[in-house]
Amino acid sequence: MATTELLASLATCVERGKVNAKSPFPPDLKGQDGADEITVRVLAEGATPQEVLTQALMVGMNRVGEKFRDKNIFVPDLLMAARAMSASMVHLKPFFNSAEVRLRGTIVLGTVSGDLHDIGKKLVGMILEGAGWSIVDLGTDVPTQKFIDAVKEHPDCIVGMSALLTTTMASMEESVLQLKREFPATKVLVGGAPLTHEFAARIGADFYSPDPQGAVEYLNTISPMS
Amino acid sequence: MTPKQRFLSALNGSLPDRMPVTTHHLMPSFLEKYHNGMTNNEFFGRFGLDPILWVNAHKPDEAKGAVYDPSHVPGYLEPRRTVCEQWRVVCEPLPHERYATMRYTFVTPERNLTTVLQSNEHTSWVSERLIKTKSDIDIIAKYATAPLCDVDEVNRQADEFGERGLVRGTVACFDVYGQPGCWQDASVLFGIEQLIMETYDDPEWVHAFLQVLHARKETFLASTKGARFDIMELGGGDASTTVISPSIFDEFVAPYDTRLIATAHAAGQRIVYHTCGGMMPILENIADMHTDAMETFTPAAMGGDTDLLEAKRRIGDRVCMIGGFDQFHFFTGCTPETTRQAVRDCFTTAGEGGRYILCPSDHFFDAEPELLEAFADEARKCVY
Repeated sequence: MATTELLASLATCVERGKVNAKSPFPPDLKGQDGADEITVRVLAEGATPQEVLTQALMVGMNRVGEKFRDKNIFVPDLLMAARAMSASMVHLKPFFNSAEVRLRGTIVLGTVSGDLHDIGKKLVGMILEGAGWSIVDLGTDVPTQKFIDAVKEHPDCIVGMSALLTTTMASMEESVLQLKREFPATKVLVGGAPLTHEFAARIGADFYSPDPQGAVEYLNTISPMS
Repeated sequence: MTPKQRFLSALNGSLPDRMPVTTHHLMPSFLEKYHNGMTNNEFFGRFGLDPILWVNAHKPDEAKGAVYDPSHVPGYLEPRRTVCEQWRVVCEPLPHERYATMRYTFVTPERNLTTVLQSNEHTSWVSERLIKTKSDIDIIAKYATAPLCDVDEVNRQADEFGERGLVRGTVACFDVYGQPGCWQDASVLFGIEQLIMETYDDPEWVHAFLQVLHARKETFLASTKGARFDIMELGGGDASTTVISPSIFDEFVAPYDTRLIATAHAAGQRIVYHTCGGMMPILENIADMHTDAMETFTPAAMGGDTDLLEAKRRIGDRVCMIGGFDQFHFFTGCTPETTRQAVRDCFTTAGEGGRYILCPSDHFFDAEPELLEAFADEARKCVY
């Protein structure tokens, strides 16, 4: 199979959540190679790690993000797509340090103080990773100082904050205000069920989207993949 | 009509005098913050809402050696815990800089299971899951007590409440911290992300787990015969399509909870199926479980997906719909007129022909008193 076809197959594996040959999901691809095997093959055929990232993984995850935005797939499908992407990324990780893979940059993600909701924030991280970003996940119940410390450690990063409760929107406001006071140039994205564009604007966040794909599209405008 | 008659008309599909209007659980932190700790009944009276009495009365299955846990002091809406020689619960406070933290150890003859709960002024959550290895479900299956319904206590409270409103119970949850639906209980005990992944990796184990949880709930529901609940809650938000897919719902949620609903009906109980989150892709799937009512019809602006008009069109003649009101945006930060319009919108889209109870989409932590007044007052004007 030509490299271009293998890259297309890999994109399909990510899109469909096909991890490896042993995985029974999705049923119609049972017994076929998955993201794991195809990544090994395409690298052996001469594709560069950057091509694997941009022409397969990002393509597949972008389709997944669009389908999720359009409500054509559900969280479990996204989790399986992320698992397939991870199975491929294992083979690319060795190239990260040698600069053979260029990521867009770093995004620091966290659910704000007092809020224990994790899955929405993780889904955003998976889709952003699939869009070529390195993700630093601070977890849940993240105090403001931890966001600030992370920005000090990753000076050019973008920060994403999640809040799922009306009671923790105040924590988000405080974190955004303090972060912007200390790092006015740092872009801050916010998301979560109770949020609105108006709230995001009022607390000084740079961007709000009700779905992860909106964040991908916004970030594409400020940091296009070279 | 009395509030009870009004609720029952909506639940049974006949036309009430006006749209019933109430709330989901009232959070103690909310009552404390806004109303100096008034009781639920005082709250309903203050705002002229149709009252709900939440009753969770369990008793031990003495024939199986179960007794009330002498060390347990029930929390808000929590029933008395039942234990036995082979299933004891030991709690131990743990130091934590921010949250009240408690480790619960389930002591059995084979090995112990542990879980850790944390809480703040608003709510509690699990910080360490009970199920850590797959064989832990065998320990539960072998030793866990199944509580029975304390019918006499339910009826005593129902009699005392009289015509004031709806008597609402809950299908028995797992001890210490659980939820009514089998899937939701499993999610709490194991973690939702892990549970979803196991539906792909080891579906047989997930089914075995759900069957264990189902058996306890089945025993409880069968024992509710004669208890004068008006409605009992089943389900949970992790069965919504915000979290899982319709195919997971069909394979892992519906089969177990459908059987529970049949048992509830055989015992003379009505069921409200609670899915706080996405519902639109599975509206018919839930109705096909033969539930009597569905909630919470969370709107998109709150993270759900409900189009109330579309929902009414699709399942409004089959079940009573409860919820649909956006408490995030119409209980705070708006004018009373905006709140009144939101109430009107719910009535005109879902209220036609009855079978609808206006209610916030699940509980809430903040609500401005004048907006609550507008909510209740406008709803009382929505007459049939």
